[in-house]
Amino acid sequence: MPARKSTLFAAAFAAALSSAAGPATGPAAAADLDIPVLVPVTGFLALEGTSQRNGAVLAIRHAPEGLSVRSEVIDTGTSPEGAVTALVRAAGRGAPTAVAASMLGTQMLAMLPLADEYGIPLVTVSGTASITERGNPWVFRFFPGDGVTKTAHARYVAEELGKRRPAVIYQTTAYGQSGQAHLRDAFAKLGVEPVFEEGVDPGIRDMLPVLTKAMAADPDVLVLHLHSGPTALFVRQAAAMNPGVPIVAGSAMHQPSTAALLEPTELKGVCAETSASPVSGGSPEMERFTAEYRAAFGTEPDAFALGQYDGIRMVLDAAAKGADTPEAVRDALAKGTYGGLAMTYRSDGRGNMAHSAVIVCYDGTSRVPAVVKRYDVAP
Amino acid sequence: MTGVAQLLVNGVALGAAYALVALGFVLVLNATSAVNFAQGDLVMAGGFLAVALAGLIPLPGILLLPLVAALMAALGLLVSLLAYLPLRHRPPVSVFISTIAVGIILQNGATLLFGPEPKAAPPLFGGGTLEIAGLLVPKQSLAVVAVAGLLILGQHWLFARTQLGRRLRATAQDPEMARACGIPVTVMVAATFALGAALAGAAGLLLSNQFFVTPTSGSGLILKAYIAVTIGGWGSVPGAVAGALLIAAFEVLVSATLSYSAATAALYLALLAILAVRPQGLFGEAARSRA
Repeated sequence: MPARKSTLFAAAFAAALSSAAGPATGPAAAADLDIPVLVPVTGFLALEGTSQRNGAVLAIRHAPEGLSVRSEVIDTGTSPEGAVTALVRAAGRGAPTAVAASMLGTQMLAMLPLADEYGIPLVTVSGTASITERGNPWVFRFFPGDGVTKTAHARYVAEELGKRRPAVIYQTTAYGQSGQAHLRDAFAKLGVEPVFEEGVDPGIRDMLPVLTKAMAADPDVLVLHLHSGPTALFVRQAAAMNPGVPIVAGSAMHQPSTAALLEPTELKGVCAETSASPVSGGSPEMERFTAEYRAAFGTEPDAFALGQYDGIRMVLDAAAKGADTPEAVRDALAKGTYGGLAMTYRSDGRGNMAHSAVIVCYDGTSRVPAVVKRYDVAP
Repeated sequence: MTGVAQLLVNGVALGAAYALVALGFVLVLNATSAVNFAQGDLVMAGGFLAVALAGLIPLPGILLLPLVAALMAALGLLVSLLAYLPLRHRPPVSVFISTIAVGIILQNGATLLFGPEPKAAPPLFGGGTLEIAGLLVPKQSLAVVAVAGLLILGQHWLFARTQLGRRLRATAQDPEMARACGIPVTVMVAATFALGAALAGAAGLLLSNQFFVTPTSGSGLILKAYIAVTIGGWGSVPGAVAGALLIAAFEVLVSATLSYSAATAALYLALLAILAVRPQGLFGEAARSRA
């Protein structure tokens, strides 16, 4: 029933949402570039998808002087067919220069053959490893894949905290299982064997059972790889039960909307991996991005928004330098280097553009974390 | 043993909130013979309403509860006017579809109004944890159990001891006879939707502090309510409450001893076993037909 509802929902209201989002720039007639934004703004990934949309829209608003960009936001929902329909619709209105494409791995996998057929670069922040492992030259990922983030996650646990007995709690979705597999590999390379591993469905409301079982295995650290709501649930229940071991969570924890669900005291000592933490500041450019994002959308930016912002900015930078066709943009993304706000992006030859991850930690006095460790991996 | 007791404390709080969802579901089912698939989304709407009211009026949840219930009752009336009454003489599938449509509209409306982020309503009295006999009990869990218990007893009192309750029951049992006796059946049906939505709103406020609320969070709840009602016996109010508590305890204990996946599979296996032995559910009455 939920899946059917989501599909119906997406189909019925995509147009309304698209018009609510509005065109990102001026009238279509004046456009030199067309960059549709095809992301999930409804369904279970709506939180992350909205961040992605906002990042793309802000980047397009910041298009370099002399470039006119037409853009339309189309809700893909969370089904593969929703993503395919959105891409067909966008391509049917002209020849997109590039597309801000869904961060949902199953949707990306469905879009890849069409992108190949139409010749459209897909710019995404999806973390699903396999989307860049299929030899498709049109996909570019501006968020570190699990191979980067989960390595950083495991290294922080083992090398910085010195923990050897992690309990790993992950989501049963494709996102969660991909992360768990990479975490397991990363821990194995560090000579660490998890004492407990269990998958949790995103609909689970009570985290005490898994916390109880995890603690029965006598871990020295709790390692989470969960979506936003479940992460907040787990951290809250762990804070109430005071298990006496630190928590190192996945990237959902760094999202300001996740932290907003918790009291600062509940966050004390909690850390998380991510590609960047815009709200933590760090440079004048990052602080300007955060301020503009807040002003534009009335909410706090996260790493997904920043990754998509950087990705579309790289497309626009290429266009400003003369890449005026989808093929030229593809080549520029595949061969160029771009100094974004989160990191410097460069393709590893398969479209993986991001090769850095950071660890952020909360001190118990605010909901803004501090960046405590950065990991850079050579592409 | 302490661990099991600790788990059950959480399970009872979860079950009490599930029970409110299931009760609203049973109310509408009894009065109209229609399954209201928007009930879970009404819970979600109640949660967001509590979040919105808390933003306007910074009061503890317990003081917001009557306001949430009243506004949700108005929404329930609207649902009856738009999604049930015009279709009541149509095949049952029409109401089935119309309530699904209401759910989708509520989800979409919540996304547009509140965004996709999880939100939390204020606690009923305050946060923190109490230590009782060696158990760490969140104050919110105690408050949820107390408030849900009062609402369930209040509903029992309404149906058993008041004129309105008797009219509602008469309408549920035999609408034609009720109409012949001068009971305004249409008004009673609308009142049932209002009461069901008020209970959903209360459940939304209770759940959204502990477990947060998102536009899609009602979808899972309606499934739980459906199972609770099936286990307890279709049409049985005590059955709905018992079914909800059983589901929550079952989920918590099996999850803690085996896994969440095993708990889900075991829940459905248990449902099949109960239906095989007692097709009418644990508290339902067996249907009899006369030759």
